[in-house]
Amino acid sequence: MATESQKVPPNLDVGEYPLLKRIREKGLRRGLFESIDEAIERTTVGLNLADLRALLQDRALSKPNVRLKPHADAFWTHIRPTYFHTDAVGFYPTLRLGWLSTYLFVLEIITGIFLMVFYTPSNVRAFPNMLNLLSNVPFGQFVRDLHRFGAEAMVAIVSLHMLRTFLTGSYKKPRQYTWATGFLLFVVTLGLSYTGYLLPWDQLALWAVTIGASMLEAAPPPVVGNFVNVLVKGAPDLGAAGLLRFYLLHVFLFPTVLLALLGIHYYKVVVHGHSLPPEKEEPGVDTAARIPREKRRYFLIDQLRTEMLWVVFVTLVMVAIVVWFYDAPLEPHANPLSTPLHTVAPWYFLWIQGLLKLGDKTLMGVILPTILIGAFTLWPYFDVGPNRRYGARRPAITLSLLFVSAIFILTWMGTPDFAVETSPDQEIMFEMAPSTKVGLVRAIPYEDLVPGAYSTEDYESTVPGDAPELLAVMEEYAHLVEEAQEELPNAVGFMVIDQMQADLRGVTLRLVWDDPTQSSGQNSNVQLVPVHADAGYKKE
Amino acid sequence: MADAAALESPALTRREFLYYIWAASTALFLAGSGGAVLWFAFPRFREGEFGGIFSVPVSSLPQPNSGPLEIPEVKLWLVNTDQGMLGIYKVCTHLGCLYKWVPPNSRFECPCHGSKFELDGTYIEGPAPRSLDRFEISIVDADGNMLAQSDEEGNPVEVPGGAAEIKVNTGQRIDGKPSS
Repeated sequence: MATESQKVPPNLDVGEYPLLKRIREKGLRRGLFESIDEAIERTTVGLNLADLRALLQDRALSKPNVRLKPHADAFWTHIRPTYFHTDAVGFYPTLRLGWLSTYLFVLEIITGIFLMVFYTPSNVRAFPNMLNLLSNVPFGQFVRDLHRFGAEAMVAIVSLHMLRTFLTGSYKKPRQYTWATGFLLFVVTLGLSYTGYLLPWDQLALWAVTIGASMLEAAPPPVVGNFVNVLVKGAPDLGAAGLLRFYLLHVFLFPTVLLALLGIHYYKVVVHGHSLPPEKEEPGVDTAARIPREKRRYFLIDQLRTEMLWVVFVTLVMVAIVVWFYDAPLEPHANPLSTPLHTVAPWYFLWIQGLLKLGDKTLMGVILPTILIGAFTLWPYFDVGPNRRYGARRPAITLSLLFVSAIFILTWMGTPDFAVETSPDQEIMFEMAPSTKVGLVRAIPYEDLVPGAYSTEDYESTVPGDAPELLAVMEEYAHLVEEAQEELPNAVGFMVIDQMQADLRGVTLRLVWDDPTQSSGQNSNVQLVPVHADAGYKKE
Repeated sequence: MADAAALESPALTRREFLYYIWAASTALFLAGSGGAVLWFAFPRFREGEFGGIFSVPVSSLPQPNSGPLEIPEVKLWLVNTDQGMLGIYKVCTHLGCLYKWVPPNSRFECPCHGSKFELDGTYIEGPAPRSLDRFEISIVDADGNMLAQSDEEGNPVEVPGGAAEIKVNTGQRIDGKPSS
């Protein structure tokens, strides 16, 4: 205690730790307990131990609205609503797709950061980094597959979320801007997926992205198109500069934009309240923001518990799919001097590839998508009818389903088999020995590749009895040659296997057919496929 | 009278005017910075960086109207037609894939979206917007004197007697004619 002679200045506490002070005043047990209780209250921003236990036991709380304090005063819970409408948190009609989209985004960030530890955005280092990740790093293949699968899942889920909000008319007043930001989020998601596609730097990455980037070049007028094309690619052709730029877009610019838009988007959802199922509201009346007492589901702790369980469940499903069903592809090293046959766009861009097969790349690749983006973003400002019920929105719903059908048809048209056929001999060689997959020949076990000369006309007698895989492939070869007889008259397929080095056998495929336009009367297609004893190619 | 005073908008003060000037100068500054950013990000490269002039000896030229000669590092097809020589750019005019020569069909075909072109690069069918692009070529004799050169349209160049080399200028590209 201060005395006259000590002259302690006013308002200055005599320094003493609160814990020690409490112990001194109330004894060890009581003092310790009160300090721990206070620590809990500070960590949870408002809930002391008694309140916390009441929450966990689902009992009435001591003070009214104490569970709202963390929302008011803490950072992480600040944007979440304090309570939800019970009609809006169920599986119908949202399928919880918005929540799932956010989950996938977080998953992509986490797996992406793990991948960044072992990846360099250099045209020389990227592919070796991929090989290292897949074969040398513990759980490397798992993380990579999870990241790739998560990306594809995110595009699908975000599209479904967009379709759902359209069908339930959730874009109507006052949620027009929520829809607009949501659509922009969709575009940024596609951008993220597209920029990430280039990073493995294999043949698939290089050529799929080259095609897409060339669409930018088609932007009118030519001066702008060329400028944007070279700005994005970093050079006239995709190379080291392009890879670095795409990497920066993928790990920095697009995620930042996405986070900003996501903030705006979710904030709007909370401010207006999550829209209710259309049949639960009077037409034209938006009651989502005023939730009656008996329809409240509090975030702390019921909704939080549900969300955490969903996190566990979805993670389990993703991991199971990635471990047992999904394998992210990796083709050979990117080769800017050679475009492989049958380059496929990622499935969510096949509709653009289908569009491009229909006509001029400026119209189909630039103008039409721009019009679509404008139409989608501004739709809620045109569709102003107040009624959200399905029965009152038949034209809009029909239009949306027609649009979905059109996307499906265009997607099918974008597949490589549609309207892109090259000569039959190249197709046969693509089946037997493709440059980007294992194919038939490389999958033959080394022991079955008995050196010798075989042909599709007499393989049954020349292939040795202890080489069943070789026999099977020769059979397939003969079948392919047979099918092409019309375009390649009198075609014969040869396979010559010779021992090139101690553990290396060379398979020379030679296709010969009659061709009156050639001076010799015949034409041929030759491919050499070396197979090493330790190659270990797996059949697909 | 109080209402009238409230409705009348007050005269522009010096402070307000300076705010507007400040905003305008900031906008100007941002516009300039934006231009600087674009200028910064635009890559440095040399036009036709995969080579300047590339020389091919006349002896290795293909026969007239037989298949073309492929020179992959330079992204070049050397084509010998009835009317003379052509140096054709190997990149498809549609979306940048490298197209192939398909002997059974005696034409160029692109594996990506199926564009097809004749031996001399003329567009046949497909989504490509124009015929194949050509490089400027010149034909020189053994002493380096120029004997013949492509014209502005890139028409085939006849190979005169005494020719030793064909020089393909991969920095000078002549766009093909539009396809429709």
